[in-house]
Amino acid sequence: MKISLRLPRQVWFALLGIALLLAFVWVATTSGPLAPIKVTVTQVAKGEVAPALFGIGTVEARRAYLIGPTVPGRVRSVMVDVGDSVKAGQLLAEMDPVDLDARVTSADAATARAGSAVTTAQAQLDDARGRQALAGSEARRFVDLGRKGFVSQSVVDGKLQQLQSADAQIAAAESALASTRQDLTRQDADRVGAKQQRRNFRLEAPTDGVVTSRDAEPGSTVVAGQAVLQLIDPASLWVKTRLDQSRSSGLRLGLPAEIRLRSNARKPFAGKVVRIEPNSDSVTEERIAEVAFDRMPQGVSTNEMADVTLHQSSVTDALILPNASLRFRGAQAGVWLRADGHLRFVPVKTGAEGLDGKVQIVEGLKAGDEVVVYSERELKDDSRIKVVDSLAGTEK
Amino acid sequence: MDKAVGIQIEGLSKRYGAGEAAVDALREVNMSIAPGEVVGLVGPSGSGKTTLLKCLGAVIEPTRGRITLGGEVIYDNGWKISDLRVLRRDRIGFIFQAPYLIPFLDVTDNVALLPMLAGRPNGEARARALELLQALDVAHRANAETSELSGGEQQRVSIARALANRPPVILADEPTAPLDSDRGLAVVRILNQMASEYQTAIIVVTHDEKIIPTFKRVYNIRDGRTFEEAGEGRALE
Amino acid sequence: MINLAGRDILHSWGKFVLTGLGLGLLIGVTFTMAGVYRGMVDDAKVLLNNSGADLWVVQKDTLGPYAESSSIPDDVYRDLLGLPGVAQAANVTYLNMQVRKGDTDVRATVVGFEPGQPGEPGSLAAGRRITRSHYEAVADVMTRFNVGDRIHIRRHDYAVVGLTRRMVSSGGDPMVFIPLKDAQEAQFLKDNDAIVNGRTRAAANPSLNRPGVPGLLDAINASQASNHNVNAVLVRVADGHSPEAVAQDIRHWKHLQAFTREQMDDILIAKMIGAHSEQIGIFLVILAVVSAAMVAFIIYTMTLGKIREIAVLKLIGTRNRTIAGLILQQALGLGLIGFVVGKLAATAWGPAFPKYVLLETGDAVRGFVIVMAICAIASTLAIRAALKVDPATAIGG
Repeated sequence: MKISLRLPRQVWFALLGIALLLAFVWVATTSGPLAPIKVTVTQVAKGEVAPALFGIGTVEARRAYLIGPTVPGRVRSVMVDVGDSVKAGQLLAEMDPVDLDARVTSADAATARAGSAVTTAQAQLDDARGRQALAGSEARRFVDLGRKGFVSQSVVDGKLQQLQSADAQIAAAESALASTRQDLTRQDADRVGAKQQRRNFRLEAPTDGVVTSRDAEPGSTVVAGQAVLQLIDPASLWVKTRLDQSRSSGLRLGLPAEIRLRSNARKPFAGKVVRIEPNSDSVTEERIAEVAFDRMPQGVSTNEMADVTLHQSSVTDALILPNASLRFRGAQAGVWLRADGHLRFVPVKTGAEGLDGKVQIVEGLKAGDEVVVYSERELKDDSRIKVVDSLAGTEK
Repeated sequence: MDKAVGIQIEGLSKRYGAGEAAVDALREVNMSIAPGEVVGLVGPSGSGKTTLLKCLGAVIEPTRGRITLGGEVIYDNGWKISDLRVLRRDRIGFIFQAPYLIPFLDVTDNVALLPMLAGRPNGEARARALELLQALDVAHRANAETSELSGGEQQRVSIARALANRPPVILADEPTAPLDSDRGLAVVRILNQMASEYQTAIIVVTHDEKIIPTFKRVYNIRDGRTFEEAGEGRALE
Repeated sequence: MINLAGRDILHSWGKFVLTGLGLGLLIGVTFTMAGVYRGMVDDAKVLLNNSGADLWVVQKDTLGPYAESSSIPDDVYRDLLGLPGVAQAANVTYLNMQVRKGDTDVRATVVGFEPGQPGEPGSLAAGRRITRSHYEAVADVMTRFNVGDRIHIRRHDYAVVGLTRRMVSSGGDPMVFIPLKDAQEAQFLKDNDAIVNGRTRAAANPSLNRPGVPGLLDAINASQASNHNVNAVLVRVADGHSPEAVAQDIRHWKHLQAFTREQMDDILIAKMIGAHSEQIGIFLVILAVVSAAMVAFIIYTMTLGKIREIAVLKLIGTRNRTIAGLILQQALGLGLIGFVVGKLAATAWGPAFPKYVLLETGDAVRGFVIVMAICAIASTLAIRAALKVDPATAIGG
């Protein structure tokens, strides 16, 4: 037959044609909408979950002080600057006393004068007493003389009246003395007050600390309560940490913390939760906790950002899955279970979740169940799948 | 002359154009060729030989006259055959100035094409083709591409093609033009062989001086008129 | 009867295959263009599906959050949760920006989401979901990031902990998911220079900087630096409620607009992609015309090269029909080769495109029919030429 002799070239082209057709069919079934969806799977296994809470915080001083005058005034001198360490009682700044010194002197003088007035009043009382004694003895003598008829009644009356007048003068002198004594007390109190005020114009450090801010220079006028200097106790630095309310279950005092400062992320510091604020932030929906350093680090500034991880107790012997295998139908969490060659969505209940993505499965699966982790596309109940080691484009 | 087969032409005229510019290419041509005869048609260019072939080949319509091919009147002042294409396919074989083989068919298929066109099954057509190729001593090239053949081999294949449907008539137009004298004579020898073997009437248009003496009969054509004369009939080895 | 077209193709297979390749590349480009359009529509659909939302609540009188920018306060979602029929309501932010990794920049859409709520990517292709409340990111593979990379967005560095596929914005930019608060800061917080500028201006303003009210200036600076806006709230409607009914409820709030999935579809596809689809349509028409011209030219030239053989064939008794069929089959064969090459090429280079190219089976079938039709029509020029050949020309040379 002629055909057999033609075989070589026709065979070539037939083979080429078939190869092209096969390529075509292969392309159609392995990519595009007809192809099965590539997935990776894993088995539910027992393991350990290390749950932890994460938040970002700022370094703050627990004890911070605003140093300023109690009355408006002008700053006279500032002795320290930002960064200086100060001791308790150290003079940090002085306000200008203006006329206060003069007022103190005036108060001293006024007090002295009041003291003199007391002395004078006392002398006047003594004098009045003397006169009264004399008037008394004279009145007694004249009354006696009057009875004996040696003097007229009017003279006796006169002497009696002198006695009354001397009594009155004593009362007056006593009251004048009391009055000057009160005046003295008042002036003395004023004097003490002026001295006290004078002392207030000396701004002294309430404790040992570090100056963090110098807010007014000599010559500036400040109002009452305005800070001239700000001071912190560096031993009281802690991290004010904010945690998402929805991811803060298990927050309690004493949780061990790992603090990574933004300025030195490579070296984490150890710490623990020392306070949980009773008021949360409703605007940002965060809970606030203060985390103290176990050992105070050097060279840390306030308002520095830090990442804080609070380690909770591990959950051992738990069924775990990577959190990438969780899918959500509405609010219900679940996984795609591969059983007997079929794909099924199984709702699950999750427990603890670690920061590494391992999540504890409390209900819905048992050990050994095979579950889809990564998928090329969203899966449906009737999706055809093909299990691979890893999805294309995700290898390094 | 036996009117049952062969070529018979009576009073054939062909006029091109009309009126003042009219050209009479053929004027009252009469011709008769018996089956098995190989006759030459000789004349200068412009004498009307090509026109005569075209009329015989049923590719142009004559103006007047009668043509009988293989015993069948095909033209009598009007075509008498409804499908000229079928006529050409089954009743007339063509040999051209050049082999004009179909380049994308191999040698066998070039020849087998004609019976296939006539409706023969492929196997039978190829068998017939092989037969003819053997007869023309070119069967060893049966599976070759046409471009691989020499000029003479190609000419022989084209002759085989012309014979493939066993037509009663073969029209050969300057079949030896591209060939040298030896090969030209060989072609004529083959034509004579085929003519006697298959009883085909063959008319050979030529002005090749080397082969004209081999014809037993020659028609001279001049200005559209033909004159018969006896040829030398020189023998061919 | 042997197939003349087949023999002719086999005989000059080189020319055929080369022409088929050229035609195929042209057809491949056409498929890719159609695929780009389908990809854009799919991007939009995937975007809407992956959000897990039934309603998009945005600023009133905007077509946001994708087609237009929209800004609403971030506590609106609490009010929405109180409406009947609302099962989940969550804040999301979207911002197109450059994300830096090392020295390179990638244009991405940064999405701020809340874990477990609509807006979080539904499934991952690698890595894990975000577990920390700040500074972790999940990126789409088209960003060319890997798990473990550190990327920089605005002020902060983020660790890429997971990868997704097919999470792209409606404009085709890959998405990077970060916690909502970080995204709010990235979008609404001004840069350092602007903040310093603002503080200086506040300090210079005597009504804001009152010496008698210590702490006032600090409070004002703090409020200027706060960012409490989001771009949209994604709402999931509870079972048994109609999204449109809930949307109507929401629209009654005077300051909000709510779109259902159909309306978002319409906005994205009709409005955003609509302009593109016109462009692509014109491209496709041009490519079709060029392909047709190419096929017509090639077939015509091949036919002209066979004029003598055609004359001979006609003379020896070949039907006109057979000759027309020869030419038509060649044109269709060319079209078939072009189609196969084009489809394979489009599939091969599709993934390398920066935009998602989606080659649908329906498009392939339609493409096949159109290619065949174009080839058939293109061959008519050559067929006319072939039929006009006078068999008489074979005689007499």
